[in-house]
Order: sequence, then C-alpha cells, then structure tokens
Amino acid sequence: MIRLWLGLSASLVLSTFAQDGGQLYETYCGACHAPNGEGATGGQFPPLAGSEWVEGSAERAIQIVLHGMQGPVEVKGKAYNLIMPPQGMVLPDDQIAAILTHVRSSWGNTGDKVTPQMVKQARTATADRKTPWTAPEILKLYPLPKEESPLRNLTSRIYHGSWKKLPKFEELEARNVEEEASGIISLKQADRKDHFGMVWEADFMAPEDGEYYFRFACDDGGRVLIDGEVVLEVHGLGPMSGGRTVACKLDFKKGAHPMRVEYYELTGQEGIGLAWMGPSDKVLKQLTDTTIRKNTGGPEPIPIEPTAGRAAIYRNFIADTTPRAIGIGFPGGINLAYSADHLAPELIWTGDFMDGGRHWTNRGQGNQPPAGEKVVKLSGKPILPEGARSRGYQLDAAGNPTFHSTLGDLKLSDAFQASDGKLIRTLSLNGAGDPLPIFISEAQKDSRVNGSAKLLIQPDGSTVTQLTGTMTLGIRDTVDLSITASSLLEKDKDLYIVLSPGGSATLTYSWK
Amino acid sequence: MSLFTHVLPLTLGAVLIGAAAEPKQSDYYDRQEIPLPEGEVMEIGSIALMPDKKVAVTTRRGDLWICEGAYDDDLSKVTWSKFASNLHEPLGMFWKDDSLWLTQRPEVTRIQDLDGDGIGDVYETINAGWGISGDYHEYAFGSSPDQDGNIWIVLCLTGSSAAKADWRGWCVRVTPEGEMIPTCSGIRSPGGIGFNAEGDCFYTDNQGLWNGSSSLKWLKPGSFQGNPTGNKFHKLADLPAPPEPKDKSRITTERARFPDFIPPAVVLPHGLLGQSPTAVITDKTEGKFGPFAGQVLVGEQTHSEVQRVFLEKVNGIYQGAGFHFLEDFEAGIVPMQLSDDGTLFVGGTNRGWASRGSKPFTFERVRWKGETPFEMKTISVRPDGFEITFTKAVDPDTASVPANYPMSAWTYILQSGYGSPQVDQATPVVTEAKVSEDAMSVRLKVDGWVKGHVHQIEAKNLRSSADESLWHPTAWYTLNEIPEK
Repeated sequence: MIRLWLGLSASLVLSTFAQDGGQLYETYCGACHAPNGEGATGGQFPPLAGSEWVEGSAERAIQIVLHGMQGPVEVKGKAYNLIMPPQGMVLPDDQIAAILTHVRSSWGNTGDKVTPQMVKQARTATADRKTPWTAPEILKLYPLPKEESPLRNLTSRIYHGSWKKLPKFEELEARNVEEEASGIISLKQADRKDHFGMVWEADFMAPEDGEYYFRFACDDGGRVLIDGEVVLEVHGLGPMSGGRTVACKLDFKKGAHPMRVEYYELTGQEGIGLAWMGPSDKVLKQLTDTTIRKNTGGPEPIPIEPTAGRAAIYRNFIADTTPRAIGIGFPGGINLAYSADHLAPELIWTGDFMDGGRHWTNRGQGNQPPAGEKVVKLSGKPILPEGARSRGYQLDAAGNPTFHSTLGDLKLSDAFQASDGKLIRTLSLNGAGDPLPIFISEAQKDSRVNGSAKLLIQPDGSTVTQLTGTMTLGIRDTVDLSITASSLLEKDKDLYIVLSPGGSATLTYSWK
Repeated sequence: MSLFTHVLPLTLGAVLIGAAAEPKQSDYYDRQEIPLPEGEVMEIGSIALMPDKKVAVTTRRGDLWICEGAYDDDLSKVTWSKFASNLHEPLGMFWKDDSLWLTQRPEVTRIQDLDGDGIGDVYETINAGWGISGDYHEYAFGSSPDQDGNIWIVLCLTGSSAAKADWRGWCVRVTPEGEMIPTCSGIRSPGGIGFNAEGDCFYTDNQGLWNGSSSLKWLKPGSFQGNPTGNKFHKLADLPAPPEPKDKSRITTERARFPDFIPPAVVLPHGLLGQSPTAVITDKTEGKFGPFAGQVLVGEQTHSEVQRVFLEKVNGIYQGAGFHFLEDFEAGIVPMQLSDDGTLFVGGTNRGWASRGSKPFTFERVRWKGETPFEMKTISVRPDGFEITFTKAVDPDTASVPANYPMSAWTYILQSGYGSPQVDQATPVVTEAKVSEDAMSVRLKVDGWVKGHVHQIEAKNLRSSADESLWHPTAWYTLNEIPEK
C-alpha cells in the first residue's frame, strides 16, 4: 500500500490536476494585490487590475512571478518601492500559468491565456538569475506596451550654437530637418551633446473635447507652443529636476492642435521631457523618450518636532552617522544626532529636526538626512578607547539627554541642552581610573584662547595644553566650538579633552 | 396568509441546517477591537502585560503607549498615555523590576520612570552586542525573560539574504547583567520568539532562502537552524563552525550529516497554514482560554490569523501538529500576549507587508465564551501511527472508519533559492482507526508515512457524539522522529 513518489518533481505530480487560478491567486497573491486586484490596503500595494504591467506580452509578468521584483516601480501612474518575493522555487509551471491566466482575464484585463509551456520556457531562459528583477532591468527586456503617439506629422530640426536663453529659432538656419514617424520627441537625433538646439513641430491629435494637462521639463531650457500660444517655458540653464518642471491645463476641442517645442542645451547633462493627460486619463502619457512623472513618488513628509517645550527624539537610521543614531531636536531649532556606536555627537544642525516620512512609510528603507540647515559633521570615530560601552541615556523634564558610557570602572556622562541658538555640552567623568582622553574633533589651526594656556610638548610629539579659561576653534567654517576644560591633548592632528575622575568640561557649539 | 405559510418552512429549514453544519469562530471566541488613541498611527510591534491590568504596546514608529481599561467589559472607556517616543523599532517588551524592558533594533533597553510623571526618563542600554548595518530588514525580535532571566533575541539577516553585520542570522541571549551569549546559528527572517510550557525557546522563521516553508523552530542552544548565511560569525566568539548544508538537499539528509542541525519542530505549510508566522506564546491559562491549555499559539501576519500548535518531544527532538485556530483579524498579526485571566491581546500592522485584514493597524482582544468547540486537540506520534485526542467525545461510527482520515505527505527542498515547492509527495494510508473507550481519542495505524515529511490529516467526515462536525478538520503533523515504543 505504500505509494511513494520519491524523486518526482512537484510540477509533474501536480500537473495531473487542473489548477484553479482564482483560488491559487487568493492564496499566494491576494494578500498584497487584493482579491479584487486593486492592491491591498487602499492601494498601498500595486494593483493588477488595469495594470499596464499585466497587459501585452505575458513574459514580463511570468518573469516577475518567477524571480520577484524589488525597488522603485511605477504602476498606473503611482510610484511604489516594495519587494515582491520570488515564487519560481515555490510554484510549479502549471500553477503560475493558472494564476497569470486568472490575473490577465479578470477585473477588465484582456491578456491572453498563459500556458505551463510558456512558464517553462521563461524559467529556462532566466535559470541563472539569482536576485529579484528591478523595474529598469525587466523593462529593458520586456518594455511596456506603447500607445500610439498623438503627435502626427512630427518633424525635428537641429541647430548649432551656444545659448544661455532661448534663441529666436525662426531666424536661424537648421542644420538638419527630419520627419519623425515614431511620434516621439527625442534628443537621440541630435548630432552632438553640447552647444545645440532643437525644434519639433507636430499636430497634437486631441482624442476628445475637455481639459488636457501638460507637464514639461528640460536641461537646459525650452518652451512649448500650442495653437500658436506659449503654454510652457523653462528658462535659463539647469538640470531636469523637479524644481524646474512646469505644467499647464488647456481646454481642447477634439482634433488637431499645432504644437511646437523649442529646446537648447549649453553644456553638461541634456534632456527633455514632455507628458500629457487627457480628460479620460488617470496616468501621464509621455511624448518624449524620457519619462517625467506627476510627482517624485517619494513618501509624504512626516515632520518630527519638539512639542510643548520638550525636546523630540528620533531613533532610526540618520544619514552620515552610524546605524545606532539617536536624534535629539531641541526647542529653538537646535538639533543633534548622537552616535551610540561612537559615543559621540556626530551631526549638529539648525532649523527643522527630522522627517519621518522615509522610515514610517512602506518598509522604511534607507538613511534619512536631517531636515534642517547648516548641518555639521563634528567627527566620525569613537570618542573613547576600545572597550567603552554605551549605557544609554537619561532625559530630564525638558527631554534633554545625558548619555552615559563606561570604560572599565570609569563612567562618562555627556549632557546636552540648547540655549540661545547654541548647543551646550557638559562632559563629566566619575569612577576610578587614570585620566581619560576624550576625542573632540580634528585639531584646528585657528584656535583662540580667552584666558591663559600653557603648552607642553610630550616625548611622543603630542602636545598637552593646560588651560585656564576658554579655547575657541572653528569647525568646517560653520560652527564655533568653545571649550572650557583644564587639560587638552593634541595628538596625531586630533584634539582631546583630558578628564580625571571627578572632572568635567563644558563645550559650546554656536553657528557662525 | 398564503405568503407566510410559504415562507415560514423555508426559513426554519435554513436555520436548522446552519446550526448543524457550520461551526464558526463567534460560537466559541469573542474578538473585539480595542479603541486606539485618536489620530495616532499605532502599528503595534510588541505588547507587554503590566501590573494593575495595564497593557503596554510599542509601535513600529517607536512610540510606547500604556493602555488602561483593556480588560474591562466596556472598551469604549479605555485610556491611553504615551510613555516614550520614537524608539528604534522595538519588537519585544516585558515588565520586570518596575521597568519596561525592550528589544529595540540596535539594543536591549530598560526604561524607567524615576520621577513618576508617567513618561520614561531612564533609557539604560543593557546590551548592544550585535551589529546593525543600516538595513531595514535587520530586525531583532526579543523574548520575555526565561527561567534564568535571560532575554532570547533572534537577529534577521541583512535584507533577509545576507549577513553584513555581526551576528546576523543568529540567536543570542542577553543576561540580566547585560552580557550577550551567542546561542544558535542558521536563522533567516524571524517573526517572533517565545517559550513553550516547558520553558524551551521557539521562534518562527519565514519562507525564503534555505527555508522551503515557514515553520516554528526550536532554539536548542548550540543548534543550527538551516540557513548558513551567518555562519561566519562563529569566529567572533571562538565557537565551533556551524554546519554548511548542501544546496538542493533535504533537511533529513543534512540532519544525518550534522547532528546540530535541529529540524523545524512544526512546519506551517506555506499557503495552507498561513504564510508569514510571527509571535510565539503559550496558553498558560489552565483552561481559561478554552480547551487547549499548554499549547503554543502562533501569530500570522499575511493571513491575519492565529494558529495553534501542539508540541511533543520524540527521541530528544521537538515535533508536533499545527492547526488553524482564530481568523478575521483586522490587520496582519505581529505581537500577542495571553494574560492569566484568558484575555488574548493581539496587535497588528500591514505597512510594507500586506495582510488579509485590511486596516493599516489594529489592537484586539479575544476571549473564550465558555463553549467548547469540537476540535482535534492533540496529535501524538506512536510507533505505528498517530493518536488524536479530541475536545469532545467522537461519534464512534464515523471515527472508526480509516477512510475518514485521508492523508498526504510531502517535504520541501533545502536550497539556497527562495522557498520550495512541495516535493517527494507520498500518500500514507490509515489502515486502522480505533476509538478509545471514553471516545475522547482515536488510535490510527498508518501505512506509508515518511520520516521528515509534513503529514496532512483531513478528518472532514468525523462527527462528535452530539453530531457536530470539526471546527477545523485539517491538521499538519511534522514527523521528524518516530518513537520505538
């Protein structure tokens, strides 16, 4: 009675049964893409219903199911940044075929049936692939279906010259004139990368009456004329980033509207993007071979700020310090990122504290830079010798932190508060042990002493300064650091405060 | 009148059929949403039970809130107070020595409120001995203290596939004195950690690289859990090198080569019994949460469920059965706590990982209503088959028919690729089903089972002596070992 099919692959066994694509979809895909294909949680996850990624050739979708997908992707005009786990090792060919057939024929989708044979071929074609696809990778192999361009009778003209603002192209002689049957505006036809201009002319075929939206960006400058009127213009020189993007809305009657696009590039990067949306569209459609989006697709900002006079805290990955970062935003726009790895205040800045949008949206990938201005990196290495450990911090009633660390029997406390636009730091050493050098910063040549200082050259070439009063030095041309301490050590171009048990020092960071 | 005479019999018929045929969750368990502080994003990542019937929760944004009234009949009167803000993704919390102890992403932290103003002021770093590289997937799930006061922490791999910081892919213990003891290797992507009734530590690991299906795994100190990505860190502590299993192998094959390779105690077959397991807790209520005292409950993020697990130790190795239990939660379940009075608290989120429950986050409680569901309570292995115990007496006529226990069995490929299909299918056959005298258990003799396989047992046709059908007729038993007697 033993019926054991050792060694048979799952696909062989399971393919003897008809697969229920709808049920398999609910089991393996429905949690994220939602049973109705609209994407789970009100569209936090990409939809499959009406998705351009599902339509057309099935190979794109098969490959994504086999190997998964990660990183930024745009679906139906909305940006996502998630990970879809690969299913190729989990699901046999016939189940993937059944799921994709279901997806391509449900919710208004009209793709052809997917067969197990198609999945098998796709599997063989990318058998060596180890990592999930990124959107650019898969689109290079399987581009999204292209709609017919609404630009008819498109021509391009190329001009040579060096312009920092829009020239009068109509008074210049074109080097070249071409018909562009593709209906796509592209710089690929240009014969050079710098010191040129281009002009395109076409009929924009509005498919229906109603309001049309246009969006335009270029590097360097240019303008768009429709029906003889200037409707969009990017002035001067600069990159194609969001800040130089312009948009307009126009009421069109169905039919041909003459369009003229003028463009110039001086030097460096070049690019042009023009996109539109008709009255019935939900997604921007591109007239250029460079994609421009409705927005940048980044997460909505979630400002974190001090409340009720109490300092705010932010423990997460802060850019340009270490992973164990602890951000403190003091009232009055003074901010600090303390590294619990280096036991050091590593970044200080003014203005806004932090934006939680990156870490509190989706999975929260990456490092978040400070939200404010005049960010100064004070140091980037441990302030105590090896063996020192962070012991956490204590917050006073106003939320001001005192960080604690230990080295053997020595206990260092490092207290911070903000006052009058300055950050005030108090270092205190307790416990038993030898005097302890505490790293402060790279040594600065421009240090000034208010009081008296006695310089002692040590046998190893380092110098010890016995200080009565305050020493002030500039850090990165942005911050003045005033140190009140009895003993400073300068060694290997680094500046240390030397504290004995029972001793303390005060440091004041003020922005210039 | 003619209208009523026609309609009435139809209605009665429908009610009668409904009552007899379909046991449902609300017959036995009462699930309620606990109101959350208005306007706050409460993506709950850990729950701690505190004295005086207070309940603390942490959120993925790092806030720590304390709830009062969560046990009361009238949940509309719960109050919340914020104890701490913007900590680093805590995924583990308990109350001890007048303090809340958190496992945050980078460290174990003890938080105290010294001045008694209701806001935490001392944040003592107990241990920060593991590495983090800045990767969001390097999660750290921490347990409550074990009998010796140690916190067990499972450290997810970098991006769930690499080991770019120290001790990723390991389980470590942190002692009350703050020392870190590397304890197990071979971990991939945990979802929760806790202890069974005997005090042994278990965690859930999610399907992926070197993990054919998600499962509940036993963290036997010194053991290897199957994923070799973090193996290199043994050098940091002068430990023996963990096993390097062969790619595209089977767990049974590699276990034979490496005795330290502890197999998953209970496989939660991917797609069939959830697909993203999370919290691990044990029912210590001695019956206040229904008839499953001493069993393990496992949270489930994607399917918004709670599964039930019966564990037994055979030849020194844990194994057992997984069952469907509670469902229809409002978001993906991450943490759970079960209080001594029989209140199950669950918290959930679906940010970044979608769930069947469609709310972005949730806090809920579940209580047993006192009505015993007809269920398979335990499944234990015997030298020649299984013994199933039930929560209620079975109808001997249906329970003694071997064909009423259709079985199938399979395993998964142990491989460096992502997940695995079900492979090496077998169809074990029940040759004898003997009902005990009290009709509370059935002995099955099984022909054709396979050591190392997951065995699916479907008892759809079984009836109780009161003619009820099973609330959940399917179970999955992981047969790591077969006893000699």
